[in-house]
Amino acid sequence: MSSVVSTTSKRRRRGRVEPMFYYFLVPALVLFTLCITVPALMGIYYSFTDSIGFGEYNFVGLNNYAVLFSDPAIVKSYLFTIGVSLLTVILVNVIALFLAIGLTSQIKMRTALRTIFVLPMVVSGIIISFVFQFIFANTVPAAAANMHLPFLQESILADPKLAWLAIVLVTTWQAVPSAMLIYIAALVTIPNDVYEASALDGAHSPQQLMRITLPMISGYVLINVILGFKGFLSMYDIIVGLTNGGPGTSTRSVAMTIFTGFDTGDYAYQMANSTIFFIITLAIALIQLRVSRGKAQF
Amino acid sequence: MGRSGASLPLMSRRNLFQAGALGAFAFGLSACGSSSAPTISLYQSKPEVIPYFRDLVSSFNTEHPAIHAIHDATSSLSASFARATPPDLGCLNYNFEMARFQERGELSDLSDLLPEANIAPSVLELVDQYPTYPGRTSVIPYSMMGAATFYNKDIFDQHGLDVPTTYSELLGVCEKLKSAGVTAFYFTSADAWTLAQGIADYSIGGAIDVADFFKRMRDLGTEASNDSEVSFSKNLKKPLEKAVKLAEYTNADATSRKYADGNVAFANGEAAMYLQGPWAITEIMALNPKMNMGIFPLPMTENPEDRKVRVNLDLALWIPEGSQHKDEARELLKYLIQPEIADKYNATNNGFGVRADSPAVSDERLKDLQGFIDKAAFYQGTSTAIPKTIPFENYMQSIFTGGSIEETLATLDGDWQRNARRQGTN
Repeated sequence: MSSVVSTTSKRRRRGRVEPMFYYFLVPALVLFTLCITVPALMGIYYSFTDSIGFGEYNFVGLNNYAVLFSDPAIVKSYLFTIGVSLLTVILVNVIALFLAIGLTSQIKMRTALRTIFVLPMVVSGIIISFVFQFIFANTVPAAAANMHLPFLQESILADPKLAWLAIVLVTTWQAVPSAMLIYIAALVTIPNDVYEASALDGAHSPQQLMRITLPMISGYVLINVILGFKGFLSMYDIIVGLTNGGPGTSTRSVAMTIFTGFDTGDYAYQMANSTIFFIITLAIALIQLRVSRGKAQF
Repeated sequence: MGRSGASLPLMSRRNLFQAGALGAFAFGLSACGSSSAPTISLYQSKPEVIPYFRDLVSSFNTEHPAIHAIHDATSSLSASFARATPPDLGCLNYNFEMARFQERGELSDLSDLLPEANIAPSVLELVDQYPTYPGRTSVIPYSMMGAATFYNKDIFDQHGLDVPTTYSELLGVCEKLKSAGVTAFYFTSADAWTLAQGIADYSIGGAIDVADFFKRMRDLGTEASNDSEVSFSKNLKKPLEKAVKLAEYTNADATSRKYADGNVAFANGEAAMYLQGPWAITEIMALNPKMNMGIFPLPMTENPEDRKVRVNLDLALWIPEGSQHKDEARELLKYLIQPEIADKYNATNNGFGVRADSPAVSDERLKDLQGFIDKAAFYQGTSTAIPKTIPFENYMQSIFTGGSIEETLATLDGDWQRNARRQGTN
């Protein structure tokens, strides 16, 4: 008994952290381990088998991976997903930043406008995509016919070369508000006297944007880019509603391909795909952090 | 001393509560175990007939008080097998995806029930067209759907057209309609599945022996390629070229039209022909009760004898190995396959019977197909014989929206081989 008491008191004297702080971590740690880490490890394990998700299975070594790398459809889905994500993340951040600048300046009906611009965030992706599907397939062609614009009369969703554009547009429309909110929060932290001082020195608006605003919110830009890019890489619902991967296979994202594994008995193969996807996503996040290390300011 | 003494009454009260709760729980359990009959679940998720089966299950429960059956229409099938709690009796569409369950030995043997089920041999053959489990009868067919070309009889009469029995007659019909300014076919290409089950399946099934083709493709396993003796590139090219020729006679806005648009357009007489299955009949008739329509198999050769109907085992029954109540599930299965119950189901839901002594189909329009069904002039569609992991529907969509047939079929051959490689078929 006495030895236990003495060791604990010794630890306390060394300035050890109150154990209660660790207890606070336990629920999150347990949940994360049970719901994320363990299933992920199981998924990686199954990627080395020929499992169909249940029943008996055999180990097949790296067979799934070997097939995966020779599958043009898989390679195509990666190129499509990364390309569309890149374009979307740029569009979203540019639009969101300009909207945020507008909505933090002294304009009329600022609060009302902020509310309106945030609305797309409240609607679920699948509903947005069904509404836009109707607009692209019916409204736009009909309007184009009225205005005698032949190039818009065919739905862009039906054109394998253009359908990705619709996905970029709708994803951007949905993703701008959350990025905009973060930028608004960032912009209000910049003290006004910095602008006043620069104005006295003769800086005009573009210079203020490039030399003051952007450097001051660079940390927020980083957050928006990383979170946005990570989110767009796993795009699913908007594509399902708009094109369902079509026309042909021109808009199949990685997440859609992986998801087919659950109800088609291609479980192990798509687990291998998920593992590769995980590694790629991780690599992209690490690169983004490395590139921006030290440059970001919070 | 004083502290512990003060807390004593509190402790004992809490213990009392715990004991009470435990007792109630135990009582609840025992009540459950002793009084009620074993509960079995019937998994059936075809949306159109869920109410029908709900009623069937409740009349079964009335007749069999020793068994309590419940109707499950919403669970995820793969997930329930993954959790090792599969339904006790399944009543589902039989396709390549379903065959996966039987191939891995997840479904129990029902061969002793075959005499009672009295399935027509030609229908039983359909089951064996997909990978089975050696030595077992894993599924018992329940209802069969027949699909072919819908045509608007009024439009055909107006232009003095007869139902075509050869491919060149069909082209002639299309030409006549075109010169009269009538859309021959209504396509809904924005919904890829409508192309796959419609024009793709009909054109391939009308030209080649689908079952034989897939048997040889499976036998090839990882050896399959676009150079092998059978391949998608070799065997499907001609039929699909003919089909693409037919697609010239479709509505101009086909690429942005969906299934629901198609039903409305056909019901309104906007096109003479429409490639859909019997499930669309109810909706078309609801849209236009005066609709005067018939059905014929799409002729793809110059021999009228080659005409065949696309069928699928719309419902088939099976009992998983993992079921805890196989005996009770078999009781329910026997109840469902009684001729008076099964025949009534098919009559009510536009299905063809699967028994050797089934009565003819009752729907006026589907009667056009009865002759073909009777002489077993039918096939299971190409789209249902390809594992869903290969996006066949999307491939057909690209072919019928201007993509290259050769390239698409070569991709399909590549996918087939890759699929065989990872299934370890060889």
